[in-house]
Amino acid sequence: MLVSWKWLTRYVDLPADREELETRLSLSGLNHEGTETSNENPALAADDVCIDLEVTSNRGDCLGHIGVAREIAVLYDTELRVPSPTLEESKTDVASLLKVENEFTEACPRYTARVIRGVKVGPSPAWMQAALTSVGIGVVNNVVDATNYVLMECGQPLHAFDYAKIADQKIVVRPAREKEIITAIDHRQYELDPSMCVIADAKSASAVAGVMGGADSEVTDSTADVVIEAAIFTPLSVRRAARTLKLHSPSSFRFERRVDPVGVDWASRRVCQLIVESAGGTVAKGIIDTAPEIEPRPPIVLRRSQLERILGITIEPGEVDRILTALGCQSDAKITAGSGSYRAPSWRHDLTREADLIEEVARIHGYDKIPEDSPIPVAPSSKRTFDSATEKIRGVLTAAGLSEAMTPSVVTKKLDSSLSPWTERPALSTQTAMLKGAKRLRRTLLPSLIEARANNWASASIEADLFEIAHLYLPGETEDELPDELYAVSLVCGGDFFAAKGIIESLCQRLGARQAVSVSPVDSPGFVTGQLVQLSLGDSPLGYLGVVAPKTLKQWKLSGNVVVAELSIAALLADAELVPQQRIVSMFPSVERDLNFVMSESVRWNDLENVVRSAVGDQLKSVTYRETYRDPKKDGKDRKRVLLSMQLQSDETTLSGDDADALVQSVIGACKKKLDAELLG
Amino acid sequence: MSLQNFLSALDALQSEAIATLDAASDPEAFEAARVKYVGQKKGALKDIQKQMGGVAADDRKSAGMRLNEVKQAIEKAVAEAQSRLSGGGDSGVDPTFDPTLPGVRPTIGHIHPITQTITHLTEIMGRMGFEAAEGPEVEDPHHNFVALNIPEDHPARDPLDNFYLATAATGTEKQNIEGTRLLRSQTSTVQIRVMANRKPPVRVISLGRVYRPDDPDATHFPMFHQMEGLLVDTHVTMANLKTVLRVFATNYLGGDVEIRFRPSFFPFTEPSVEVDFLWDGNWIEFGGAGMVDPNVFRAVGYDPEEVSGFAFGLGVERLCMRRHGIKDIRDLYSGDMRFLSQF
Repeated sequence: MLVSWKWLTRYVDLPADREELETRLSLSGLNHEGTETSNENPALAADDVCIDLEVTSNRGDCLGHIGVAREIAVLYDTELRVPSPTLEESKTDVASLLKVENEFTEACPRYTARVIRGVKVGPSPAWMQAALTSVGIGVVNNVVDATNYVLMECGQPLHAFDYAKIADQKIVVRPAREKEIITAIDHRQYELDPSMCVIADAKSASAVAGVMGGADSEVTDSTADVVIEAAIFTPLSVRRAARTLKLHSPSSFRFERRVDPVGVDWASRRVCQLIVESAGGTVAKGIIDTAPEIEPRPPIVLRRSQLERILGITIEPGEVDRILTALGCQSDAKITAGSGSYRAPSWRHDLTREADLIEEVARIHGYDKIPEDSPIPVAPSSKRTFDSATEKIRGVLTAAGLSEAMTPSVVTKKLDSSLSPWTERPALSTQTAMLKGAKRLRRTLLPSLIEARANNWASASIEADLFEIAHLYLPGETEDELPDELYAVSLVCGGDFFAAKGIIESLCQRLGARQAVSVSPVDSPGFVTGQLVQLSLGDSPLGYLGVVAPKTLKQWKLSGNVVVAELSIAALLADAELVPQQRIVSMFPSVERDLNFVMSESVRWNDLENVVRSAVGDQLKSVTYRETYRDPKKDGKDRKRVLLSMQLQSDETTLSGDDADALVQSVIGACKKKLDAELLG
Repeated sequence: MSLQNFLSALDALQSEAIATLDAASDPEAFEAARVKYVGQKKGALKDIQKQMGGVAADDRKSAGMRLNEVKQAIEKAVAEAQSRLSGGGDSGVDPTFDPTLPGVRPTIGHIHPITQTITHLTEIMGRMGFEAAEGPEVEDPHHNFVALNIPEDHPARDPLDNFYLATAATGTEKQNIEGTRLLRSQTSTVQIRVMANRKPPVRVISLGRVYRPDDPDATHFPMFHQMEGLLVDTHVTMANLKTVLRVFATNYLGGDVEIRFRPSFFPFTEPSVEVDFLWDGNWIEFGGAGMVDPNVFRAVGYDPEEVSGFAFGLGVERLCMRRHGIKDIRDLYSGDMRFLSQF
């Protein structure tokens, strides 16, 4: 909100040091955003300065110069000068000129109106024009300018209607009709709906309540009589109407943050006085007010002990009392007795509880008075299992050469549709796009990583091997459920299927997985047929691993081989032993044997491995795949040679050459019998 | 054999042997030469020694002395050649070995700077007793607003200020109405869930992604990470809050950093402040903080007359960018290896 330095001087004596004032305002709640002089802003008078202050949403009372002046008066312990409007009223009663019916109290708890007759619309006085210009308000005429001046003076929005245009001299506050059309003073047409509140006459809507006036009833050069509206419109109603119509205004901004109920009448009298001074005319006697009674504020008890309990410092009771009284609180009982009782002023909607008063005392007293060396009791803390595991995961993956990416959680339809291995339910969607076109909460990280790889290739010919650890959002059964948020670790890399599989096997091993990684072929669009597998640890699903189909790669403009995998971190953790446990190693030497088998192409490595293991039992320490060799000329079609190494070791004695040979013979026999695999001589 | 002939043979042998040994450029050539000349069974020296019998008796003394001289010269040459080939001296350098060639580097990946920042923050706060907690990113209005004392008419609930999820109705028809689910706008929701399931004392940090409809630019992105801290106990004060933030700032930013509180407004804390750190001569806003609002305590079943507490929230991206000199927040989410490989 823009504030004119010169304008402020009408209400409070300002200190000589402007920068100090700006800092003190920042440190007490009105954040200083910037300052302009006539050098930066030619619209400013040479002797004025325009200050931009950020007003928080709970301080609607500071959306006017008097409100800011009040803060300054409290900070500098000086006097605040608030004008006392005086009106000379004619004998004609306002009730004889105008009727007001309020049919929508939910949106408009209070509506007031005054009538001024015999005005001469013309330019505003120079001082008013200068004031409005200094804070960026356009100059219109002496009637409209007066309403804007009072708005910026005290924060109460006002509106002037041309009395002659009000049909039947009746104002009706009512819900808009279905698809009712109004032409606003910006001369555009807006379609309304019954949730919106309008100010209408006997025939049609004249204004959108709290948001913008209508063109039909606006004040023109030929206007002779005006109606002055000063009202309270509820924040929710104003906000929704302004948002729906995309019509935001200084008025709607202030109604959304609540206005001072006592200020309504003050503003009405103030604007009438200013209009009469510059445009002539007479004010009809009295005011039409649909809800003239204002509830008194309830007392708030403030305990000295609570001040210390919350802030951690002691503030002298006299200072507490001075601060609250200066802010406008009425003291029913001073705090010196241990607890005081205060009533908040009408303009402070945010002061309702003891905690609010504590905040007021603290911010005026100064947060710099609060020390930063207060003892913090020692408390033990421990690292989460999840964090230990993800630290290991990152260690393994970076050692394998992959770098960690971080990509947006909400993706475009293109990415969402390309892959979805975990669920067939449609992705959750946001109402508003997070990034251009991106509304889908992702069900897999893989398309994001493939896109990142493609972008690396396109921009710098980099073959990026990437991983990410993030949530998948798997929709629940019904629309009201929160989704399953599954943490996944996903990777994209070049190389071949088995290089990626090796990374995953190493990862599981490093996490202390108790069960071996097993695979079962699955089929899915986007992957090479037969080269997409579901991964499991024992019987529990772990994730997916597959080679991206050339057709899909072409869409991404990627060449070469791309392998992707996605694992559930919960599944990894379920089988993990994050604290490695020692296993006793044998004190006897091991014996190595290499075996080269020829067998049918359809025999899988895990079948061969299992047969070897069961043939030897405990004395087999490891069986390692070495190589596959295919020579149709020597071995025939659909045959292959597989080379493996066995490490044989006993826990009880040294194995002799003959012992090892006997074990090897049992392996050879079992392979022959079960797999029809022949040992090559 | 005449003495003259014998001496000539010795001279020839010495010349040949020394020349051959000097020319040996590898252990194999050396060994062949050594065996040829000084071998115990078939060496040339051994052969010529046998011819002494053919020399006249009167000349044998002279012949013997000369033989010994030649033998010693050849053996010396053998020793020198052996020493040279075993690594001593400049002449032993392999000219094909260029130590200035680059080493063979292993391919090691990089951990994301946001992850590094979160790990660092978690470690600092862990030393002050704060444990990490997490919660859902898709939230209901109760946890995202109501329990945080954000009333229905508060601007923070606006559909333009949150990512509400579309339903069958809103997806096809109206936009911009409040819904039953949204992407959380803050990690305070985790604190609500923690407090609802635990008795005081509570000392946690919640970390994770949050979402706000900001247009992306160098300093804004609609998705970012927050770290929120929460401490609830019987005697927690704003001085404790300032102290915790001071310890954090000193550990993360260095001993010369200053802290400043500026009054602000958040519905879930009262008093509420913005937290600024003075860094490189400029006050930088890093987040918000305050004493937990009594209404929040009541919403989770705590008695605000029994316990008090503070909460603070810091933007992880802001801290990360400051510390690493990152100029554009969008780089963090690009997956661009040219960016990622710098950290």
